[in-house]
Amino acid sequence: MTKLKHFLAEVLGALRSLMADDSAKSTMIVGILIYSVLYPQPYVGEVLRDVPVVVIDQDNSSASREFVREIDVTEWVDVTISAPDMETARDAFYRRDVYGIVVIPAGFEADILASRPAPVAAYSDGSYLLIYSNVMRAVATVAGTMGAGVNYARLTSLGVDDGVARTMLSPIAVTNVAVFNPQGGYASYVIPAAFVLILQQTLLMGIGLLHAGRSLPSGRKLWATITAYFVLYMIWVAFTQMTIPYLYSIPRTGDLVTLFMIAIPFICACMAMGFAIAMAIPWREGVVFLLVVIGMPLFFLSGISWPVEMIPEHLRALSLLVPSSTAISAFVAVDQMGASAQDVAGAIQTQVALAVVYTIAAVALSRLPRNRAKALH
Amino acid sequence: MAPSHLPPGFRRIWRRELRQIATRPALAFMLVPLPLILFLVLAVVFAPGLPRDLPVAVVDLDGSTMSHQIVRMADASADVEVVEQLATLSEARQALVSQRAYAILMIPADMEHDLLLGQRPEVVVFSNSQFLTAGGIVGRSLSATVSTFSAGVSLRLLEGRGIGTDRAMDLITPIPVQQSPLFNPSLDYIQFLLSAVMPTIMQIFICAAAVLSFSRERHSPNGMARLLRVSKTPSRAIFGKLLPYTFIGTFVLLLGDVLMFSFFGASFRGNVFVFFLNGFMFILTCQALGALIALIAKDTTGALGMMGLIVAPSFGFAGVSFPRFGMTAFSQIWGAIIPLTPYLQLRTDQTLRGTPLEYSLPTMAWLFAQLVVFSALLWLMARKTMTQSPAVADEPTVETAEAAQ
Repeated sequence: MTKLKHFLAEVLGALRSLMADDSAKSTMIVGILIYSVLYPQPYVGEVLRDVPVVVIDQDNSSASREFVREIDVTEWVDVTISAPDMETARDAFYRRDVYGIVVIPAGFEADILASRPAPVAAYSDGSYLLIYSNVMRAVATVAGTMGAGVNYARLTSLGVDDGVARTMLSPIAVTNVAVFNPQGGYASYVIPAAFVLILQQTLLMGIGLLHAGRSLPSGRKLWATITAYFVLYMIWVAFTQMTIPYLYSIPRTGDLVTLFMIAIPFICACMAMGFAIAMAIPWREGVVFLLVVIGMPLFFLSGISWPVEMIPEHLRALSLLVPSSTAISAFVAVDQMGASAQDVAGAIQTQVALAVVYTIAAVALSRLPRNRAKALH
Repeated sequence: MAPSHLPPGFRRIWRRELRQIATRPALAFMLVPLPLILFLVLAVVFAPGLPRDLPVAVVDLDGSTMSHQIVRMADASADVEVVEQLATLSEARQALVSQRAYAILMIPADMEHDLLLGQRPEVVVFSNSQFLTAGGIVGRSLSATVSTFSAGVSLRLLEGRGIGTDRAMDLITPIPVQQSPLFNPSLDYIQFLLSAVMPTIMQIFICAAAVLSFSRERHSPNGMARLLRVSKTPSRAIFGKLLPYTFIGTFVLLLGDVLMFSFFGASFRGNVFVFFLNGFMFILTCQALGALIALIAKDTTGALGMMGLIVAPSFGFAGVSFPRFGMTAFSQIWGAIIPLTPYLQLRTDQTLRGTPLEYSLPTMAWLFAQLVVFSALLWLMARKTMTQSPAVADEPTVETAEAAQ
């Protein structure tokens, strides 16, 4: 009992020395809190709505005006300008007043009435994919609906029966159901994933700040230190994976036990890696520098924004050395998709293996003359 | 420190800074090889440009000739590869959750039968929108496949009614939409993401190098006073210390751009001079920001941390993935004070868009304003810390011991 009491006292001592170190405190505590406010800000809108577009209506008929109105009504775009010619439209586009141009050529209504194809044109910036898809979606949807109406009228005027006309024009109905993130929200997509990486980076940095270039505490004190970081980060796991989604109304379906089945090995792997890095790079600023710059590349290796299938095998294999490369998608699977431990078993195994490998590496590195010599001072 | 033969001033500071880099191999590594390694890694990641053959699963409850044809068509499309045929929807859900497939194509029982009876069977595509990119691509691809198949059936039905092929085609798409992705015709991720990610990473490197350089003076006892002694004026100190990194940063940024524009063949339609000027202003602005942070912060790691907090989330605020006009006012303002935002906007203008120069002037002025503000603040802070340094000198505690190591 007294042993346990001593141990707890040492755990508290480790937390106190973490709090006493300004840099470690601002990384492992204040930093995460600031991030939880700052990082989601660009994405709180979730879905991109009302992309401003300019319309060039060269037909100026009731059909073309209806087309414009229908586009404007969609949630995807907002017709903000009506331009007489391409010159004016281009000007607004270059100024970034609008992000799409819709052209309805002269003869639009006449073509429809004469049962000829009545084409329209839509231009948008292909280097902003979200904007581009909004503009195209609006125009294609309206063209589809209006076209279907036109067609239906044509066929029935040919004497084709009501229902038959419908099935003839679209014999199969296609429904696209977006699952796990039904509204395709940007915050729902990026925030749960990003905070897994933030946990890893701050933990690696914090351990680097507290232990790089310094001797490791020995024996029970080391265990107390590890326990302290572990407890702290379990709280952060709960905070980032449950409180943050709640605060930003991000739907989550995950089961708590499963979440910790991936979180515990993940945090252990990160801690082991943190100590290995701290023993390998005795320069605290260097550790921080390195971790700050590799954050973004690590995110792209996680498979969230760019499919892992597209990453060359060797690079993918190499990236497995970093816990986040498998952990991020496992966290997302558990939290957002309701995956069971079995579904993410591969990622859990990888985390356990990394925890073992980095523990061995950290122990081996701590025996380097450099790290031992420091211990004497 | 070795005695310098040069009189105090710019050249002496410049030489001193170069020597400081040369005697710190770890720092030298982080300045040039590390960003290049990260560029290469990202280049390898995004090299395919477009995701292809993404795994999807099929639940074919019909098992007819027609359903087989749909599955074959789906598999034949460039975006998608059918990796599994599953018997039930719950198995399919399992495939989604365990990330073996990004979408499920579900063909209902008796589809062919219903189709022939004109009962409009419903084919459902379940796409995983938690993986927005991959799920979106496969979802669109599968829907397009089914629509193409449906249009084929429609064509045959209309022809069966004695309507000619051309006429039938016109009937199927009465309002065709000519969709033009300007500047990036293949919707390539290299032009969309990679060309924005590289400068984002450079921003971190340039800021961090400036932070470390100024922290070496600011956070060693009497460092700023000593800096003033060897430089004579704050401006000479600032220029002398930062210029080596300006050259290094320009060199690395250029190497990244060479990779982008020659190896990946990214299009360049803008004004070369403005493009370079933009890069140069960007580097200077990042440096001023980094150095300013170093002078404000309490210690080196604190400065790096503060820099990380400002610079690391800047990709989101710059509006590459989620556009700025869709953001809250706070995010727009925060994004506006980060060098990356105007830099990327001007970069897009002067590479992809080929924007006429006059439209880029406001963005240039914006970046220039940042440069002026950060530089002025840096100069003020430098002068202040240089003259008040003796007061700081009486707290040489832990930092000194570490700096001495």
